[in-house]
Amino acid sequence: MNFKKFTSPTHLIENSPGIAKYFKKYGIFIALLFICIILTIATPNFLTLQNMVMVLRQTSINGILAIGVTFVIISGGIDLSLGSVVALTGVAAASFAHPGTHGLIVPLLVGILIGLGIGVINGLIITKGKVAAFIVTLGMMTIARGLALVVSDGRPVSNLSDSFNFIGGGAFLNIPIPILLFAAVIILSSIILNYTKTGRYIYAVGGNENAAKASGINVHSIKMFTYIMCSGLAGLAGIVLASRITTGQPNAGVAYELDAIAAVVIGGTSLSGGAGKIIGTVVGALIIGVINNGLDLLNITSYSQQIIKGLIIIGAVLLDRKN
Amino acid sequence: MKKIQLASLLIIFVAWALSGCNRNQKKEIVIGVSMLSLQSEFVVNVKDAMEARAKEKNIKLIITDAQLTAEKQVQQVETFISQKVDAIILNPCEVEASSPAVDKAKAAGIPIVNVNSETKSTPNAFVGSRDEEAGEIAMEQLAKLINYSGNVVIMDGNMGQAAQIKRSVGAMNVVAKYPNLKIIAEQTAQWDRAKAMTLMENWIQSYGSKINAVFAQNDEMGMGALQALEQVKLKSKVVLVSVDAIADALQAVKAGRLNATVYQDAKGQGAGAIDIALKLIKKELTDKKEVLIPFKLVTIENVNDFLKK
Repeated sequence: MNFKKFTSPTHLIENSPGIAKYFKKYGIFIALLFICIILTIATPNFLTLQNMVMVLRQTSINGILAIGVTFVIISGGIDLSLGSVVALTGVAAASFAHPGTHGLIVPLLVGILIGLGIGVINGLIITKGKVAAFIVTLGMMTIARGLALVVSDGRPVSNLSDSFNFIGGGAFLNIPIPILLFAAVIILSSIILNYTKTGRYIYAVGGNENAAKASGINVHSIKMFTYIMCSGLAGLAGIVLASRITTGQPNAGVAYELDAIAAVVIGGTSLSGGAGKIIGTVVGALIIGVINNGLDLLNITSYSQQIIKGLIIIGAVLLDRKN
Repeated sequence: MKKIQLASLLIIFVAWALSGCNRNQKKEIVIGVSMLSLQSEFVVNVKDAMEARAKEKNIKLIITDAQLTAEKQVQQVETFISQKVDAIILNPCEVEASSPAVDKAKAAGIPIVNVNSETKSTPNAFVGSRDEEAGEIAMEQLAKLINYSGNVVIMDGNMGQAAQIKRSVGAMNVVAKYPNLKIIAEQTAQWDRAKAMTLMENWIQSYGSKINAVFAQNDEMGMGALQALEQVKLKSKVVLVSVDAIADALQAVKAGRLNATVYQDAKGQGAGAIDIALKLIKKELTDKKEVLIPFKLVTIENVNDFLKK
């Protein structure tokens, strides 16, 4: 079997002619650009270096989550437990981050390992237990939320060390740490998906699971990998969020999975699996981030914000698909 | 029907009184409690206060979490009725939708006490605070700190919730008194710290140093706004006042970072609800009692009194 066929969703594009090919490839970039141009005209406060950095930082948590779930969705799965995992890992990490108790490495490890562990559990039940991913991760969504409440006794975990708070609030060479982490995640994920065997297999499993199995791919371990990756990144996002707001909040991250999945879908990844790109997801997350930022800058009322946000999301995808 | 209930209640009382000498066989008082959401720190504090007072008084509590759903709350109260509890304490989810819970308890002859927020149906007693008062106290202090003149931004809670509406009403009553107070932006951050931080960053981007003061309708949002302001070193120029007096906010007031918060007395409400319920059970109290627990302004001068609580 020739996997080259699956290596990238752009194989479709390569066969389509001229201008259509151009739009197919860049439609979502154009949508982002379009929104940015409108906001630049609407308010002088949008297109400034300070605001651009801010939008990137505000997007980084959703961006990290969206990249994680991109792996899962390309492989044909779904993960609804992200928001709760963010809360659980944030609260757990924060519990080990009080000043003068542990080194910075302890809360970081706790957060990431809990994330990875949840990925292992999700993956095992989905592959070995043969339960639909939707159900497993829906169950995990309430379990992780419950655990977050148990761990924190229903209260925010505050009084965190400066070094822990640096992750969300600090900067290196004037670039906020969350943005650097987001960038690192983008690069690493792109490498895994585009240049490794595992990456190609993820597309193959999502494209046609039976064919992938027939050709000798260990479908279970590929799926396991995607769920572990996804929850592990949710653990990272949980740490960044807790650090950014300087508390572990058991009720943080509600519905974050929806924003993450929205970013993935806006970015051109098909919910039925087999196709998608990290860069698309990044642009999708940026569209959501820019909309949130822009609507606040324009001081649009809360009620209308929700309507406009929904319309822009659907519109952006329409613009992409039409082309 | 009423007579049977009265009679059965009497029998229970007699039995309880007779068995009073034998502790093991004593019929203990059971109160069913349905709380709005045990994911909210304030509600958890009210619950803890109830548990502490119940322990003092040897009362057994059955505590349930309605998870913000009025329908679930009504079911929980129905279960209490079939369990024949001695009284019910309701921390209502919604004004209208939680009302059937009150009606059903009253129809079953079980005394019901609303704590913290109201329902359309009148319970036997209400223990809580007037949220308008919180808005008034906070906005009054904010106005004073900027000499009754300047640009103010307001962070709302979840739009349409009773606390959001009433705190807004209270704040606006004060704003109406001072013509030089100008509300330049008002937006919801859904009671959430992370959302408030993002909103404040975006406002700073829009209005920059034009903002003289921020009123956040709860401390979580206040803390988020505080971090956004401190991040760009604007806090020294902006007055920030929020409501609830959660632990983080008290620490921030003590450190001089947050200008003021408003203390909503969770302990007073929780303990008060148990006391009133007990009085109703013992028939020491007639209907429609309203116990208002006042809000208190917390500033750097008096913050130590609240940190001890």
